[in-house]
Amino acid sequence: MRFTRTRSMMAAGASSALMAAALTSGTVVASDNNVVTQQMINEDAMHTDRVTSYGMGPHHQRYSSLDQINHDTVSGLVPAWAFSFGGEQQRGQETQALIHEGVMYITGSYSRMWALDAKSGEMLWSYEHRLPDGISPCCDVVNRGAAIYDDLVIFGTLDAMMVAVDRETGRVRWREKIADYQAGYSYTAAPLIANDLLIHGNSGGEFGAVGMVTARDPRTGEMVWERPVVEGHVGTLPDGSESMTGELNATWEGETWKQGGGAPWLGGSYDPELNLIYIGTGNPAPWNAHARPGDNLYTSTRLALDADTGEIVWHYQPTPNDHWDYDGVNEMVLFDLDYDGETVKAAATADRNGFFYVLDRENGALLSATKFVNEVSWAEGVDLETGRPIETGNRPGNPADTEGDEGESVVARPAFLGGKNWNHMSYSQRTGLFYIPSNEWEMEIWNEPVTYRRGAAFLGAGFTIKPVYDDKVGVMRAMDPKTGEIKFEVPNRTPLWSSVLTTAGGLVFYGTPEGYLKAICDETGEEMWKFQTGSGVVGQPVTWEMDGEQYITVASGWGGAVPLWGGEIGPLVSHITQGGMMWTFKLADIQTAAAR
Amino acid sequence: MNKLICLMAGVCLCLVGVAHAATEDPMRSPGWRIIEQRFFADQTVVFDDRVQVLAPQSAEDTFAVPGFVRVDGIEDIERLVVITDLNPIQRVLEMDINDAVKPAVGFRFKVQQRTPVRAAVQTSDGTWYLGGTWVDAAGGGCTAPSTASADPDWANRLGEVDAALWARDDGIQRLKTRLVHPMDTGLVDNIPAFYLETLELLDEKGDVLTSLSIQAAMSENPVLSFDLAVDGPVRLQGRDNQGNRIRGMVEP
Repeated sequence: MRFTRTRSMMAAGASSALMAAALTSGTVVASDNNVVTQQMINEDAMHTDRVTSYGMGPHHQRYSSLDQINHDTVSGLVPAWAFSFGGEQQRGQETQALIHEGVMYITGSYSRMWALDAKSGEMLWSYEHRLPDGISPCCDVVNRGAAIYDDLVIFGTLDAMMVAVDRETGRVRWREKIADYQAGYSYTAAPLIANDLLIHGNSGGEFGAVGMVTARDPRTGEMVWERPVVEGHVGTLPDGSESMTGELNATWEGETWKQGGGAPWLGGSYDPELNLIYIGTGNPAPWNAHARPGDNLYTSTRLALDADTGEIVWHYQPTPNDHWDYDGVNEMVLFDLDYDGETVKAAATADRNGFFYVLDRENGALLSATKFVNEVSWAEGVDLETGRPIETGNRPGNPADTEGDEGESVVARPAFLGGKNWNHMSYSQRTGLFYIPSNEWEMEIWNEPVTYRRGAAFLGAGFTIKPVYDDKVGVMRAMDPKTGEIKFEVPNRTPLWSSVLTTAGGLVFYGTPEGYLKAICDETGEEMWKFQTGSGVVGQPVTWEMDGEQYITVASGWGGAVPLWGGEIGPLVSHITQGGMMWTFKLADIQTAAAR
Repeated sequence: MNKLICLMAGVCLCLVGVAHAATEDPMRSPGWRIIEQRFFADQTVVFDDRVQVLAPQSAEDTFAVPGFVRVDGIEDIERLVVITDLNPIQRVLEMDINDAVKPAVGFRFKVQQRTPVRAAVQTSDGTWYLGGTWVDAAGGGCTAPSTASADPDWANRLGEVDAALWARDDGIQRLKTRLVHPMDTGLVDNIPAFYLETLELLDEKGDVLTSLSIQAAMSENPVLSFDLAVDGPVRLQGRDNQGNRIRGMVEP
């Protein structure tokens, strides 16, 4: 007799088909018309009866051509149903709903996912991921959404896993590890379906994680390519061969690149025609830039990746040698721009660093860069020739230059939570304007020596955030991408932390920490409707049409980074009560009847 | 047309009702009618003493009550199911029986309250043969948190497989295995259902000897034993309801 002990392989490639065949309880096979294809996702923005992708289309415009809810009718917008995120886990609801064939797929904090009947809000199934205690999400236990493809719905978890479940039954089809959560990795973004691949990044930039973009076969979870986003690290191509990202030590002196951060923690957009994936990368690690001389490519950078191979086609770095935690993760919204009499395939992005950039998305050429917040202290502008910021010398001092551990501190604007954070702006095809959920705040920041320890925070900086104005932090701004002109501003007492939706009905929808889902006029900013959801709205409104009626849905449930990292913003938001609901609205029956 | 369907359905229900009345449960379990409808509807059920369940009269540990199913003298068995009538999760396990795998299985299960624990074996003609015993218990085994749920490091050992093989004099190999898993039922507030749901035993060549479907009624860190009519090493592979895979290999 021999006694054998085996540590099982959690993610080695056992055939999921074999496993599925072993299940004794019957699973319902999705009918063909319920299958989601890449083409459907590519054309998502053209169909009003569904939302099959994060960003409401691969271009991430978050614009709908629906206009049943408009200036005249919006006063009749009333709740159709609500769904509770349940139990003690209500806080931090940043999800964007997906809707297909009458079913809504939403994710919740603590790595949970539900399928709901989109008409009644009744739950069809739930998936509650069993999380280890040792997870280390930097910025709350949020999840921003799922991807749907084929007969699957796929999302990432706080312990850095990707999980694919059957859309009809909620049963797990496959599960793959992104990275080791005990080394500080996690995942909070919505994955992207592009080129028939599942594309995801990773989170953990505050823990010395190394940023990586990975493409998988969405049906099996098998890795197709992976691209580290810090120069010197080695990626894998689809044929299994390896290639280095950038050139070792070309823009990064010393050794800190090994734990160099850059986590692409927010996911990306996609141009199916160019077959390019646009994704932003997080702050370099540690925060203390004195520990990493050079531009530190490709951190705090926008990347265009070849969707076939994952290779970097072009890059644009808004904040070289980032010293302020100005993550470059913010979304690239793809749109057509009239520029010098030509239509340019453009991409716009509102960076944490306070500048709104318009780029040629074919080659990364910088077309314009404009401040979109009032207060930017670290740079006075951007040189359009070189694409580099014109810095003002607003960097924290080197701890080595002073006695004691702390370097000289500076006050910098915006604060590290950014002129805009993760919450997505919207581009209205109706007005040609971008609607940016921006924030005005500043920080005192100083550097400290730091050494990397696996799984521990890797900052080398101390900081505190303060408001700039007495009466507002958040400002909804309408920005003309052609001129850089701000058409209107709508101030908000607390920081804006919800994504934005625009519609052909002339409305801009967004949430506030005060608990409102609001609709404002897309031309003037005039408030036309609001609804109190009971807790702060940090979710992402979307709209779709079902049986002739236009619906709007948004998650309510205060949380996210502001209450955790907000410093002196804390007192502004400490009164906000907990809640966690998916709220869905449509026009009151009496009104739709009258309109007919 | 709709009316006709309703009418026919009504007739069917009546017939089923009559059939039910005919199978009198020798264990006189208050849960039998539900069990019969859920697991044996429209099937032939025979209570037979040759199907034996060995379990303590009274459960010392309601989270892990040892049980053993033994069947002597019934041929052509294809399925084996273990059911606890009065647990919130009634089915404990279900497995394939064939020439390589004897209708004998040891396991540990949770008991929510005093309940019958039954084994049912199905022969190739479709007939189910049932036997069982009552287990008395203080209760609560299915609605208390697992030990792992209070252990911050539970993930480190998740999926560990201990296994051993013994060759017996009668040519049968006894396989005993312990799988590290919380087996959370989902019936405790804020602890999601998290349990092993499939397990396969394979021979050296990779051919499946038997497939098991497991429920969270199985004890935390399930302990299972099987009688195998094959020689040589045995591989184990399985999966939990959240997609985690387990894999192990044991040599004689």
